[in-house]
Amino acid sequence: MNLLLLAAFWGVLMMFLSVLGISRSRIRLVAQWGMGLLFLSTAAEMQGFVLYDLNAPEMLRVDRYALVLLAILSGCGFLYFLLSATDMAKVGSDYSEYFALIFFVFCGFVLVLSFTSLLMLFLGIEIVTIPLYILTGADKRNLKSNEASLKYFLLGAFSTGLMLMGITMVYGARGSFSSMELVGASGIPTQLLLGGLFLMLFSMAFKVSVAPFHFWTPDVYDGAPTVFTSFMATLVKVAAFAGFFRLFDHAFTSLTPAWQVWAGVLSVCTLMIGNITAVFQQSVKRLLAYSSIAQAGFMMLGIYGLGGVAKEGMVLYAASYSLATIGIFAVLTRMQDYTLEGFNGLAKERPWVAASLTIFLLSLAGIPLTAGFLAKFYMLQAAVEAKYGLAVVIVSVLMAAVSVYYYFRILQAMYFRERSEEVSFPVFSSGFVRVLMLLAALILVMGVQPGWLLRYLYF
Amino acid sequence: MAMLSFPHIAYLIPLLPLLGFLINGLGRNHLSHRAIAWICSGVMALAFAASGWVFWNLPAGAPTILTAFDFIRVGVLNIPFAFQLDALSALFLLIITGIGFLIHVYSSAYMHEESASQYGRYFAYLNLFVFSMLLLVMGANFVILFIGWEGVGLCSYLLIGFWFRNPAYAQAANKAFVMNRVGDLAFLIAIFWLIARTGSVNFIDLPMALGTVGQSAKLSAMDITGITILLFIGATGKSAQIPLYTWLPDAMAGPTPVSALIHAATMVTAGIYMIARSNLLYTAAPLVLTIVAVIGLATALLAATIALRQNDIKKVLAYSTVSQLGFMFLALGSGAYVAAVFHVMTHAFFKALLFLGSGSVIHALGGEQDIRKMGGLKKSLPITYWTFLIGCLAIAGIFPFSGFFSKDAILLSAFLKSPVFYAIALFTALLTAFYMFRLFILTFGGSFRGMEEQRHHLHESPLAMTLPLMLLAVLSVVVGWIGIPEVLMHGGDRLAEFLSAVIPVASGHEVSHATEYMLMGLSSGLVLLSIYVAWSRYKQYRSEESESSLTRFLDNKWYVDEAYQAAIVQPLHRLAGWIRSFFEPRILDGAVQGVGRVVRYLSQQIRFLQSGQTGNYALWMVIGIVLILSIQFFIRK
Repeated sequence: MNLLLLAAFWGVLMMFLSVLGISRSRIRLVAQWGMGLLFLSTAAEMQGFVLYDLNAPEMLRVDRYALVLLAILSGCGFLYFLLSATDMAKVGSDYSEYFALIFFVFCGFVLVLSFTSLLMLFLGIEIVTIPLYILTGADKRNLKSNEASLKYFLLGAFSTGLMLMGITMVYGARGSFSSMELVGASGIPTQLLLGGLFLMLFSMAFKVSVAPFHFWTPDVYDGAPTVFTSFMATLVKVAAFAGFFRLFDHAFTSLTPAWQVWAGVLSVCTLMIGNITAVFQQSVKRLLAYSSIAQAGFMMLGIYGLGGVAKEGMVLYAASYSLATIGIFAVLTRMQDYTLEGFNGLAKERPWVAASLTIFLLSLAGIPLTAGFLAKFYMLQAAVEAKYGLAVVIVSVLMAAVSVYYYFRILQAMYFRERSEEVSFPVFSSGFVRVLMLLAALILVMGVQPGWLLRYLYF
Repeated sequence: MAMLSFPHIAYLIPLLPLLGFLINGLGRNHLSHRAIAWICSGVMALAFAASGWVFWNLPAGAPTILTAFDFIRVGVLNIPFAFQLDALSALFLLIITGIGFLIHVYSSAYMHEESASQYGRYFAYLNLFVFSMLLLVMGANFVILFIGWEGVGLCSYLLIGFWFRNPAYAQAANKAFVMNRVGDLAFLIAIFWLIARTGSVNFIDLPMALGTVGQSAKLSAMDITGITILLFIGATGKSAQIPLYTWLPDAMAGPTPVSALIHAATMVTAGIYMIARSNLLYTAAPLVLTIVAVIGLATALLAATIALRQNDIKKVLAYSTVSQLGFMFLALGSGAYVAAVFHVMTHAFFKALLFLGSGSVIHALGGEQDIRKMGGLKKSLPITYWTFLIGCLAIAGIFPFSGFFSKDAILLSAFLKSPVFYAIALFTALLTAFYMFRLFILTFGGSFRGMEEQRHHLHESPLAMTLPLMLLAVLSVVVGWIGIPEVLMHGGDRLAEFLSAVIPVASGHEVSHATEYMLMGLSSGLVLLSIYVAWSRYKQYRSEESESSLTRFLDNKWYVDEAYQAAIVQPLHRLAGWIRSFFEPRILDGAVQGVGRVVRYLSQQIRFLQSGQTGNYALWMVIGIVLILSIQFFIRK
């Protein structure tokens, strides 16, 4: 619970700072310290140091799974702030509020990761998404940003409706909001319960942009200010997936035969649409939007192959995907030209940045010795045990091969093309480059010693 | 003392050469000849001292396992990075570091003409070589052993091709590497097989896998046969047995001390060690044991016949190593693991002595290796002459030199296996004595047949070279005395007793003392006769013109290289050519490009789904929902 308390406090604090009118660098520093504190407090909670024990077993329960993921999220959030906090100033004038909203989103993360009641899940999802609508439209004078925000809101409302409907139907079938009581339910499931399950499946699929509920993703990611796209595409998506995973792991295990095949179908669809569409993109930002859909397809495999090593896969995927994508977005935010041509010749003039980007891209593509490879490996291992698992795994591997094509286009641009005259590269501060290299190092370390992270899952 | 605990010292043994490798490898452009020589000989001396300490303080009974860290942990499979110290590994440690040290000292003089950076590179490789071999014998499981195994393969490649500007030498290095890889593949498969069946690769788990401690066996007879055959194929690569032996004679391309290292202390003994290490498995597979014995015997005989007609001093020694390794495999195949390890040990000393001696000769003659152009070197190279003679007597198996005891143990085990094996082995031993003394007499006897210029430069080698020779000569005599057979001295076979914790003493048929005396007498007498024949034939040098089809056959080394070339290399070349000209451009490229085109086409089409219209998006979502729900509730039911 440490994180919930601190995040709420810091969110309010950041709101007040905007009224007090202190300088932006001070605000940034407070935000960065706050996020670091969030991470430390979560790490401390893992060692048994709890600030305030919220006794609400009917509502929330912070278990190891929640703690590990919260630590990953707040750790990645800290690195994200270190890399991108300065860029948020370029979006608009409400600098402090942006941070406040992000801290509130973290409050939502806690609910999404530790709910034991479906109502808490709903509440968490809403706390996460409403600040995001605002952040998407933060660039107020930009029409694209406004359009994206509105689209996101309309479609988001649609999915919220689905979720509420689903929860209602489950309640109708069971007479309880608890997500734990459904475990081990015997007998034939009623149509009402199944209906509720499927509506919740669709709604969660929307949140994590799984096909065919992914259509909002490219437009919103493209339209939103790039710093916030980075946040949405990484931490928010990972948290939503973790909640998705928790919901099905706790509530619907006994109904596995009904939904498992659909989870497989959805992940195959997502993998195909995400990867194949990404091939043709010219804008790196849009390419990353599609790649995030493709990666969602892989994470969906963890839900498809629930049980076994899927949990390890989910944790590793959360860490590796977030780190790599945050790193790429942090560089992208500062680039003048978002197209692939904009990256031409980067390696010659900014060798360390290019080297770090290379590791991020290799990890996303799933090349061995990076965390991305092991994350994919665990997911595939979990999936292969499921019904029709082999076919799904074969398609997934083929699609991973397709993904190599578009990730390597960026590498090719950086290393084998000459810089065009009209483009000039931004100057990266040495601190920025160092954090970037730390990210790359973390990815490599997790790619060799995943046990250092995964052992926290079990105590 | 807390500092000197057993694990610390044991860890030092492989770390020291690694340290030497790092210092010399990284600092080769900055260090002087002197510094390089001191550093790497120094680390070897320390490693030898540590090995000696470990040897004396070895805890009795169960092997000591030192686990450094978890190397691989996946699911239930756990492979620790661990060392196993017991009688067998401690013995090998002594041999490797001891002989390794002498070879390092010798090399410091032998390689002195190289530039400092080349000199540093040479010693860095040499240290790395020893490090790999130490890893190999200290590893507590097959995987760590395999790391060392690959390491020695790599280092042999680097050192055989040390003078890589000569294309023939680079070719020889390639050949050694590729042939070793063939064996390594079999070894790897064996490891995977073992993991699949037992879930463990630790040596101490082998008895459990075989089900000898009250549990049901995890390995079926099929498994054991398969694994042991594959392990043996791995051993034929590293230890130069039929069919993978041809790399070893070519490996003479490397500097002579390297040959000594490969032949005596490291590399080729790895296969013997590995099989002795897994002796429990082999004992459970009698069929494979017979195969090992037959291959070993065939290799011993084949290599001995080839050695009869070689004129390059190092080639003769190389073939003699192949032949002696064949003897060791014969012992392994006869179930006499102790005899095999004993012969590894004695052979290590006298073969190192012979190689370093030949290096001294080559050094004195300014690089000449052809024994037809030598002769009469006794006067100018007295130390080399006497020590070489001791080496020859040892390898021929004359009492009381070390070779006598180990060879006798092997002959006895062959006799117990089958009298036919014994007869062939004895014949091979006679050939050994013959070609070794042919080499000896042609090199040192008679008068000098080289050029005038060489005659003036004839000189005994410096002390750094002759000292190792003298030490090795003494050792070549006395080292055999640790395994004196029971008939000659009661309780004389201290080696078998020492190794009994690792290699169970085979109970079984004994031979009467009379038979044993008779066998010993027979072999000693015939070997002396064989030496006499060689002496009488070669004391007056004449060129061997008498060409017959048999000698031509031997001169060409049974045409084995040519046969491999025709049966394996050429077809592979042809296949590669076909793949390059047809398969790759037409079929592979076509398929790959085709897939690429399809994906690009799909990509172009699918992206139009992304219309930008929110209403459309909602529509697609609803279509998806309706489709899934209707299939779920109306069709799947």
